[in-house]
Amino acid sequence: MIDHPRARQLFADALQGKANRRDILRRAATLGIAAPVAMSLANLGGMRSAFAADAGTLSVTYYDWIVNLHPALNTVNEDFNKTFPLKAEVAPTQGFGIERFVQEARDKTSTWDMYIGVTPFLEMIALANSGTIEPWDEYLPDGFLDDIPDSIKAEGTYDGKFYVWPFLLDITVDAWNGDFVEKAGLDPKTAPATWDELIANAKKIQDSGAAPFGVTFDFHAWRSLVPITHSISTDVYDKESGLFLWNSDAAVQALEIMKQMTELANPDVLNEGGVDGVGPDDAAFTGQQVGYWVKYQNAPIQRAATWPDPTKLGLGPLPKVEGGAGGTVFWDTGAVLFKYGVNKQQAADYMKTITTDQRIWKESVAGDPDNGVPAVGQLPVLESIWAEYEKTPPDWLTANPWATEVWKSLPNASAIHPTPLSITQFNVAAPFYVDYLSGKESDAKTALTKAWDAVNEELKKTGTATPAS
Amino acid sequence: MAYVSTANRRPGMWPRVREGLGSWLFLLPAVAFFVLWQLWPVILVAWYSFTSFRFLDPNSTTTFFGLPTGWVGLANFREALNDDLVWEGLKRAAIFTLLFVPGMILIPLVIATLVDRVRNGKIAGVYRVILLIPAMIPGPLVFVLWKWLYDLYIGPINYFLVDVFHFYTIRTQPQWLGDPHLVFFSIAFMEWWWGIGYHTMFFIAGLAAIPHDLIEAARLDGASELRLWWNIVVPRLLPVILVLVVIRFGSAMAVIDEYLIVGGFNRTSPTYTWTVYMWETAFVTGDWRQGYAAAIGWIGALAMLVIVVGMFYLFRSRD
Repeated sequence: MIDHPRARQLFADALQGKANRRDILRRAATLGIAAPVAMSLANLGGMRSAFAADAGTLSVTYYDWIVNLHPALNTVNEDFNKTFPLKAEVAPTQGFGIERFVQEARDKTSTWDMYIGVTPFLEMIALANSGTIEPWDEYLPDGFLDDIPDSIKAEGTYDGKFYVWPFLLDITVDAWNGDFVEKAGLDPKTAPATWDELIANAKKIQDSGAAPFGVTFDFHAWRSLVPITHSISTDVYDKESGLFLWNSDAAVQALEIMKQMTELANPDVLNEGGVDGVGPDDAAFTGQQVGYWVKYQNAPIQRAATWPDPTKLGLGPLPKVEGGAGGTVFWDTGAVLFKYGVNKQQAADYMKTITTDQRIWKESVAGDPDNGVPAVGQLPVLESIWAEYEKTPPDWLTANPWATEVWKSLPNASAIHPTPLSITQFNVAAPFYVDYLSGKESDAKTALTKAWDAVNEELKKTGTATPAS
Repeated sequence: MAYVSTANRRPGMWPRVREGLGSWLFLLPAVAFFVLWQLWPVILVAWYSFTSFRFLDPNSTTTFFGLPTGWVGLANFREALNDDLVWEGLKRAAIFTLLFVPGMILIPLVIATLVDRVRNGKIAGVYRVILLIPAMIPGPLVFVLWKWLYDLYIGPINYFLVDVFHFYTIRTQPQWLGDPHLVFFSIAFMEWWWGIGYHTMFFIAGLAAIPHDLIEAARLDGASELRLWWNIVVPRLLPVILVLVVIRFGSAMAVIDEYLIVGGFNRTSPTYTWTVYMWETAFVTGDWRQGYAAAIGWIGALAMLVIVVGMFYLFRSRD
């Protein structure tokens, strides 16, 4: 009997905890397996599946800030639960740690069906190569991929397969404190068109005493260096490894622009300690100490919410250089499908639901003042949603025109290419470009050439896994 | 009738085995706890360090009990010993330890001596409670508190230095957590504050064990208070000092949370020590070379062990 493929599959599923007790008993009865054997299998399966995803209940886990910042998800989840049982919980991981998911995959099991909290250029390759996740392609709704901008589609694709379902969109933009801009005699409604203009404006703000500092940028300086580079050229990635071309002319020019910004910035701008939301740039902007801020849009929206008058926040596209590409950087926080999860089609249905549910986007863009929920500022990714907004703009969107402005900067934006080095690429390069920004190194090209060499050395040392079959 | 003495007869095999089994049965919970909770992780990490195990690489397989395959002998240790970041990381951790440990011993020792001299029981109790308050605060709250104190924009320290006393301008103000020359001092100061009550209690307990007649005799012989403290009190507190030095030496060399919060993964920051490098190698970089990270960990642990043995010798009892 054990030679029977269905019986073999039943034993395998029970041992791996991939089927629940009820499912095992039903399948055992169908196969005519003796009751004591079936009961033993069911108990075994029950023990394993106490931790494994359960057929019949979609098990979703989120990175913690997602539910914290988007409480409307809870309401949407309640509604989804009426159509298919849903268990949603915050992932028991520290930081963006993926070790739990990978370890479970190594054991050929998974507690959850899917995880929402992946930034493609950071975790996608590791999760795909380790055999932790599988592509969404088989489960996507008809026409879904055509509804995603090409750049976002490319961001979530690895080895020709679509691994990360995009959910929350962030684009690096230029934000400013309109109060300071106005006090410096500048127009608070107009974004600086070029980097030269931004730096001149920042100097005016500082010199006029409107604010102690003219401009600041992301405390992980690479998160500003790469967008500024994209504003000059987006052709800055190694074709083979995907590494950022640290010593490219565009990167060198971008670093020189950042040097000028550093001189007008808060003195701790290069301090990489801290976490998002409480970094030195966040503190300077929240504390109304600085005029301009280069950052992904959700940060200034959240930080300005604490100002006496949040309407003073200005948001615009990243400045350009003459003849430059005019690009910026975007990234999505998206969802991945666990290889050893069970409710895969339901996972896709769930993602379609939360990606399109307008309650989430209304709350994200306009907040929910009645319930004390501030706007978070992350945007939807589907083109059909934005086409609908254009046709019949909802009141909450009209009241927050920044959202459309930020979305409009997407066609010029590019994602950071994923590499096996993940975040380490930037950690390894940081000391060299920081040396230039802090004045220890006088030549930007020399600094970034050292960064490029160090990153390549790290890649050689680290090696890469072959993708899991 | 012949008398056969049984006094020197060796008991049979079975009763001895039975007796032994009985003892082992009672010992079993403790042994299981020791083996599974203490020994097994050490064996596991030791095993890892001799393998090429990469956590994210599906070709890096494990065998029974999760022990990785891919035996590479001493290759990881050879590589780690030739890795500048390992040595630099150990050096940075040692610098922090040299700054932190003396303060963490001396300050509570002096405070304990002063509190011990308070003869009013109620006032002495109040001092002890106040000293213990920081130790009661959970770690994350301590980090948040001190991050606020050190903050450039809303922190009270720089507010006084810049706005009240005008010692610095807003551009030249000290960056307590960002300046490579200040960051270790800032972390050490926070840790001293946090641990002061806990360590003071150790010393107060040690002081209570010193016979009063010894101190009185020294006073009668004309010893000054300083000489009395140095020649009578401190030598008798050496066992307490040894325990605290060993504990704090280990925790100082192995600090990681504070460094990750303050300095992240910036490899030129003083806070990028061997522990941060080990963590980054094991859980951040590339395929997560956990075999190599385990070797870094063992090198750090063995270096600490050598120094701890030296400390035991230095602080051995002289009585």
